[in-house]
Amino acid sequence: MAEIVLETKGLTKYYGAQPALDHLDLRIPRGCICGFLGRNGAGKTTAIKMMLGLLEPTAGSASLLGCDSTDLTPAIRQRIGYVTEGHRLFRWMTIARLEKFQQAFFPEQWDEKFFADMIEYFELSKKQKIKHLSNGQRAQVSLALALAPNPELLIMDDPTLGLDAVIRRQFLEGMIELITRQGRTVLFSSHILADVERVADRIVVIDKGVLRADCSLEQFRASVRKVVLYFDDSVPADVELEGLLHCRRSERQLELTLVGVDEAEVAAWAKRAGTERYDFVEMNLEDQFIEFTAPPHRRRLFQWEEARP
Amino acid sequence: MGAMALWMQISSGSETPIYLQLVEQISSAIAKGELRTGDKLPAVRVLAAELVINPNTVARAYTILEQSGLVTTKTGSGTYVSDPKLRHADAAEINLLAERMDTLITRAVNLGLDRGALTALFEKRLERFAGRLDKGKAENG
Amino acid sequence: MRFVALLRKELRESLPWLLLAGLLLLAVGTLALRAHVPNTGVRYWQYRRGMAPGETIDTWRLLSPAKLDLPALWLSFIAPGLGLVLGVRHFWVPLFTRTWAFLLHRSVSRLTILGAKLGAMVLAFVLSVGIIWTGLYWYACRPGLFPIAEPVYVLVNGWFYIVMGMVVYLGTALSALSTTRWYTSRIFGLVFALLATLMLLSLWRPVWLLAMTALVLAMLLAQTTSAFLSREF
Repeated sequence: MAEIVLETKGLTKYYGAQPALDHLDLRIPRGCICGFLGRNGAGKTTAIKMMLGLLEPTAGSASLLGCDSTDLTPAIRQRIGYVTEGHRLFRWMTIARLEKFQQAFFPEQWDEKFFADMIEYFELSKKQKIKHLSNGQRAQVSLALALAPNPELLIMDDPTLGLDAVIRRQFLEGMIELITRQGRTVLFSSHILADVERVADRIVVIDKGVLRADCSLEQFRASVRKVVLYFDDSVPADVELEGLLHCRRSERQLELTLVGVDEAEVAAWAKRAGTERYDFVEMNLEDQFIEFTAPPHRRRLFQWEEARP
Repeated sequence: MGAMALWMQISSGSETPIYLQLVEQISSAIAKGELRTGDKLPAVRVLAAELVINPNTVARAYTILEQSGLVTTKTGSGTYVSDPKLRHADAAEINLLAERMDTLITRAVNLGLDRGALTALFEKRLERFAGRLDKGKAENG
Repeated sequence: MRFVALLRKELRESLPWLLLAGLLLLAVGTLALRAHVPNTGVRYWQYRRGMAPGETIDTWRLLSPAKLDLPALWLSFIAPGLGLVLGVRHFWVPLFTRTWAFLLHRSVSRLTILGAKLGAMVLAFVLSVGIIWTGLYWYACRPGLFPIAEPVYVLVNGWFYIVMGMVVYLGTALSALSTTRWYTSRIFGLVFALLATLMLLSLWRPVWLLAMTALVLAMLLAQTTSAFLSREF
């Protein structure tokens, strides 16, 4: 079993009476890329900020590289890269000055050539000031700053938010580049499921502050499934299947979104419900995520209302 | 083998998981003869970096290919396309193939193709793999 | 090394304000010294040019000795003003630019980060208004230039204003670091600094003044440090 580099135990944060994060338990082993997913306001940034000791947990604890987050020592911080939300850097600095500033905090491990190469690859000049850069360029600088010290653990808070496809791909390349070095670990939150699917081998899904899934990407992909059952006359009223997320029905069809239910169980239930005809519908990760985190559909958001007589 | 990844196309956001896309594309390349016996597959890390996907995903695809006998891994050297004589198509694999054919036949039926037309179409598509199929026959016979 | 990097950053961010305050005081001081308007209404250059041959500077002894009065008055506004601006720059602006997270994830303790800010603030005061005020005093006391040397208390008085500037800085920092609402306790830091300054200005016994100034500074420093170390960003 690989060493655990990021651990949270019952990590909880309340703002007033509202829990922003409710008992998050995570154990991220060394060497994985972990995609941290959740809708806006699900508590991702709150969790990340508590991991980095910027917010105080209301209850529970987090630790990075074995060191409690509320008391991260300089030596531990030096081994952790953190890309902040929105890539906020000191606006008045030039890239060169920012490099010098960052370098001072990673004296032994700063890879000068790597940084220079990245800046050149991004077609930036070290003389440019941060305030004159576009959002995307600032993100590129932020990525280079985080990767150049070769961190053991890289935590990125929604690094690709609002960026174009090319720069998003560069972030993914950066993560892959880092992870192919021995013993590196990445945790990144994101809204872009396709990005997560490409690079993550593990996903953590939180919804309204509650941990909903923590598994390998393959496991998630294999366990959230949609099945359509066809009935000859009427659709049964109740669906007694554990792991049922959503259920939509039409006159002679029943569409079920299931989690962690294997085909044999579906077949067995279908037989009891009076049909043998069913199809599994392939879903991509985004559809799976939406089905997994969307509230149960009681009524459609957009529904044509027939004029009542 | 750096050129190998050139014809590989990974699409994220697809219904097919990425490791399966890899398995399918490499299998198909072997079937079409684009990859020949003894060819070396790119190292896991190299392919991961080139396709911008997680190395574990590549490793998983290689493991599946190895289990189905299409490739063999020599420790400390790399992964190679294996000799067809050593490949074993087990019953489960063949079963899976048959199920996939069902899907295609369903579509053909819905399109209104009759048996003759479907067989003709099948034969026509088979031509693409002629080299490999016939060679396989010759070797087996 | 790390502390120096932080200090450089904070100083560089303070630079425009430091220069502005320094230049303002320098301008007022120069004007006051060079174009001194004494009670007689005779201007400095008239006074120099108007000296008859053989006349000595003693003739002009009756001119007002308080040549630094006007600059001192200005300094009593410039120093707290600089304190306010630096407090805003060091503790408030990062809230708006959202750079706290980037700054706090440094391989140093939080105390070091605060120390760099305070160090930069003290340096900013010393390097601008401090040096210039001392320079003005020194210039005004040069023998032979003016009839009467300025008394030392003028110098000390100016430095007292500078320390008041630091009090205002700490009060601003405290208000910036507070997470409560303005109309509740957030305003406390600024109000405390203001009242403390007024209180200190009204003291005239040196011992009391010294003791109370030390007390006010110690209280503000302790509050700011504990607020900074425990604040959520």
